[in-house]
Amino acid sequence: MSLAAEAFVSQIAAAEPWPENAALYQPLKEDQILLSDSASSLAVQTFLRMCGLPVQVSCRANAEYMSPSGKVPFIQVGNQVVSELGPIVQFTKAKGHSLSDGLDDVQRAEMKAYMELVNNMLLTAELYIQWCDDFTATEISRPRYSSPYSWPLNHILAYQKQWEVRRKMNAIGWSGKSLEQVYEDVSQCCQALSQRLGTQPYFFNKQPTELDALVFGHLFTILTTQLTSDELVEKVKSYSNLLSFCHRIEQAYFKEQEREGQSGSSRHSKGSLP
Amino acid sequence: MAAPCELFCWKAGLGLPSVNTDCLIVLAYARFAGAPLKIHKISNPWRSPTGSLPALRTKDEGSCSQPSQIIIQLRKQKFNADYDLSAKEGADTLAFISLLEERLLPALIYALWIDPKNYVEVTRRWYGENMSFPLNFFLPGRMQNRQLERLRLIRGNGTLEAGEEAEKELYHDALECLNLLSQRLGSNKFFFGDSPSSLDAYVFGHLAPLFKIRLPNCRLQQNLKNLDNLNTFCSNILSLYFPNESIEGVSRPVSSTQPGSDLDNEPYKRRKQLLSVLVAVAAMLSYALFTGIVAIEHVQEEEPVGSHIGPSHEEEEEV
Repeated sequence: MSLAAEAFVSQIAAAEPWPENAALYQPLKEDQILLSDSASSLAVQTFLRMCGLPVQVSCRANAEYMSPSGKVPFIQVGNQVVSELGPIVQFTKAKGHSLSDGLDDVQRAEMKAYMELVNNMLLTAELYIQWCDDFTATEISRPRYSSPYSWPLNHILAYQKQWEVRRKMNAIGWSGKSLEQVYEDVSQCCQALSQRLGTQPYFFNKQPTELDALVFGHLFTILTTQLTSDELVEKVKSYSNLLSFCHRIEQAYFKEQEREGQSGSSRHSKGSLP
Repeated sequence: MAAPCELFCWKAGLGLPSVNTDCLIVLAYARFAGAPLKIHKISNPWRSPTGSLPALRTKDEGSCSQPSQIIIQLRKQKFNADYDLSAKEGADTLAFISLLEERLLPALIYALWIDPKNYVEVTRRWYGENMSFPLNFFLPGRMQNRQLERLRLIRGNGTLEAGEEAEKELYHDALECLNLLSQRLGSNKFFFGDSPSSLDAYVFGHLAPLFKIRLPNCRLQQNLKNLDNLNTFCSNILSLYFPNESIEGVSRPVSSTQPGSDLDNEPYKRRKQLLSVLVAVAAMLSYALFTGIVAIEHVQEEEPVGSHIGPSHEEEEEV
């Protein structure tokens, strides 16, 4: 698409108000969704709630294949489909809804950098634990990922996904890491986030930004998801200000009856925060 | 005193202390921290202890290859450029390094390795001229394939190819990253005041190739030139910490004229032509021998007794 056409499309998008029937698509919550996708989905939902934009969560077994980028979650607003948090933030900004307008240039630079830190370390660590740790892959990831499909497609798709993730880990230099090193990276990332948050209610003081939504999505999902080991949860729990931060956002943006739904199934999840 | 660690990295060229981003990061960090390294600047990655560059060889810990691992090793030996950073500054360092790796690095890979004009006229030419025969025939191409594969996996796009669409997307992200870095640096000499840290090493490693290498086709370089503080930052580090290396290999200006073909820019063009002629001649001779166009007969001659102990065989070529 040319730049002129893109500008025209974004103008049209900006002109239309946010519809009541906007939908967010993600994999099946009960049996299929994995830690990384659940975290990304919760981050988008949190962001939209912070913006005060209504969205219906729709769970589909083939959500990954419906997405234009092959990544979940994605939203459908009118006749437009946008996937992943970054592009969704841009899309809502075009419609006049932004959480970071109050930030100065240096703060905006820091916010973007910390968002990349979460994607670069937390998200990558989640993918590593899901697919590169053989025990977790065998016990949780492959069975859940392939649950909607019948034999032999279930095995084919699960192994194909595992192979894709492992190739990516190899490309970014994570294939040589041990599970302990990955947990250490998570701890390092949490320490950086904890230092940046300090005693403030949100990362940039009084008002939440997309960084707050992203961090909450990942940390809350880690804290409420049952894995083969509790080590990942323990790493996050050792930062009390991050725990308080998660409690604060949960209280402010997620009503009592919705809490159970956000954190997944009883088999895969431990419910709301401890 | 223990023997110094040995650092293996790509040799200097194109106006830079090393032509590789990871090597530049490690070299800059070592200079900032004052680490007394024995540096081997080589143009054959197979001569490094890990088979890739950069690589650090220590007496106790063996060898490691990633910039982050090398920096950890140097810190263990008390060479720490981040010792006076606060906890928050340490956190910012991690965050901005992630920003570089996610946003700027893919565009840098694209500019140097994927863009056809840049690859043929600059990258392949340099590696071809600086690698020894026969590595220069296949290694640059293999490195390009690896970089393309790496870029596809990083971006999560299995069909990514050189083209306007990919370039626009990658350069958009990279330009945003450059602007964010410029805003964060402000009017400071370095990112955290007056002394350089590991973040400065990472930023320098990613910006120096764009700052110094003259690429025939790179909008990103033009964008970097517009950000005065980042230009000053790069030239400061080159003049303060690499005073000799930056003068050594000033990059050759790339002609603005359109080349006739890719072959015009082949390194060792004469040698390749000669080799291809020899291969062709050998192939024709082999064909001639196998099909019987040329035959080799063994003729046995009788000689007077006593002149030879055994019968002699003389080869004759019959055309």
